Amino acid sequence: MILISFDIDGTLEEGDPPGILTIDFVREAKKDGFLVGSCSDRPISAQRAMWERHGIDVDFAVSKHMLSDVKARFRADVYYHIGDREDLDKRPAERAGFAFLWPHEALTKPWG
Amino acid sequence: MSTSPAPASVYRTKEGLGLWEHRGKVAALGIGHSPTFRRWDGTPENSVGGISLLALRRAIDDAGVNPADIDGLVMDPSTTTGAFWPRGKPLPWGAINAYNRTDDPLDGITGLSAAWILANMPELTGIGFTMYGVGCMSNAICVAAQAIGDGRAHTCLVLKSWHNLEGRYYQGGANAGNAIPGSSAIRSLWGTPACFGTAVQFAEYCRRYGKSHDMMAPFIENSRQNGLKFPEGYWAQHRPEEITPEDYQAARWIAKPANLFDNDMPIMVSAAYLFTTAERARHLKQKPVYILNHATSRTRPRSLTPTLDEVEEDTARTARKIYEGAGITADDLSFENMYDGFALFHQFHIEGLGYRGLKFGEALDFYQTDISISGPNPVSPSGGNIGCGRSRFWMHTDCIQQLQQRAGPRQVTGVKPEIAVSGGPMPVGGNYMVWSATPD
Repeated sequence: MILISFDIDGTLEEGDPPGILTIDFVREAKKDGFLVGSCSDRPISAQRAMWERHGIDVDFAVSKHMLSDVKARFRADVYYHIGDREDLDKRPAERAGFAFLWPHEALTKPWG
Repeated sequence: MSTSPAPASVYRTKEGLGLWEHRGKVAALGIGHSPTFRRWDGTPENSVGGISLLALRRAIDDAGVNPADIDGLVMDPSTTTGAFWPRGKPLPWGAINAYNRTDDPLDGITGLSAAWILANMPELTGIGFTMYGVGCMSNAICVAAQAIGDGRAHTCLVLKSWHNLEGRYYQGGANAGNAIPGSSAIRSLWGTPACFGTAVQFAEYCRRYGKSHDMMAPFIENSRQNGLKFPEGYWAQHRPEEITPEDYQAARWIAKPANLFDNDMPIMVSAAYLFTTAERARHLKQKPVYILNHATSRTRPRSLTPTLDEVEEDTARTARKIYEGAGITADDLSFENMYDGFALFHQFHIEGLGYRGLKFGEALDFYQTDISISGPNPVSPSGGNIGCGRSRFWMHTDCIQQLQQRAGPRQVTGVKPEIAVSGGPMPVGGNYMVWSATPD
């Protein structure tokens, strides 16, 4: 099982600023059976509203510092966090035991 | 025409001055806001100069004044606290040359002079008075009100604008240098976030009065709800997101006990007001909002960060100055619009004011009651910086609009809007204005 946590701002096309990862990319990951969700500085209620708007039933939506909670809640073989910031994405992800990917790396990674 | 910062004597900093000599003789009429943006997109029209011209012209139009009849301009030449043009980065000549420029190529991009404004608003043919109210709109409105009262201008534009560039805030400017002048060398050396001092004061507040950070949640929720009813604000325009108590309590710490949502977000925005004499205001398009007083705190703390004792002493002193000059008491306030651009100091302001009889240590309990715009005790009906983005002027716009009865969905309904107070930024060191629906 693969779990993917998505940052929003600067990472997803819905972000402020928009990132390069499309909502369809998330939708495909969910369809492929991955555990997916968001980990962002946006209010949790706003994250949930965004996913609802796109009809994606995410497994989690948490604040930026809560990746370790996500890891504790879900059993997976590998945990990824995709984000655009060294200080607010990469370092906290690695501290929480997640593998980290920049958005362009996520696009080119062979997920199958 | 050269423009200087207002001399210290303009500001009413002392107790015992009595009623303001121009009480009820100066009025606010027109309001103009630019759209908001998170960051500059590089286009001339969305530069800080471009959005300032738009806001000024909207204020003039809103007031129904002939631009040629305007004889004063008061503004803040600084347009950021933390977004500086990176050293070595090529200058944006396309945007610079799209306007009439001054000697400083970044005038209109990362700062704004009165000369730049006048060079690009040829319709302002009658300007004979310009002055800077440096720091905030709160400074500028005090300077403009005093100038009109003193007869230095009869119809005056008041302007405050903010720019924000791509990249992180507070990383450039002096923060990127090897040397820092003055007492900043001590404060900045420790590398604390901007909200650190307020967080320290709030922690002491909670210890002293037995309160908790979670008790701030209703204030934050109310502020964002009010901000989402402010069509000129950033969150209403771009990201209509509420902040629920659950969201607030789950946010990460910036400087514990200050979390992410206790901090405002830097944006680009400009606002302009048109002030005139009460006499002239009677014949213009909008309902006049009369200025009963302006007051200022210039208290210097004993150390780098004011202690809670110093904060409480100074907010109480500020309130006495506000009420004395306006000839009112706390009981006369229909609502309050004190600054919130760290949320954790709003209670210091309103406890100092004694708003609705509050004493020190009582505001967080007050936040658990009905503080909405439809209740009898509205708190921050503008939504402030928390509800609308960093500008430090939403509270002034809101006071004017509320008293003019044109705050739209944000209009207070639980009280009759007659007298209001707004101002900031810091509880120790700020500028305040008392607004009234009638001149007396």
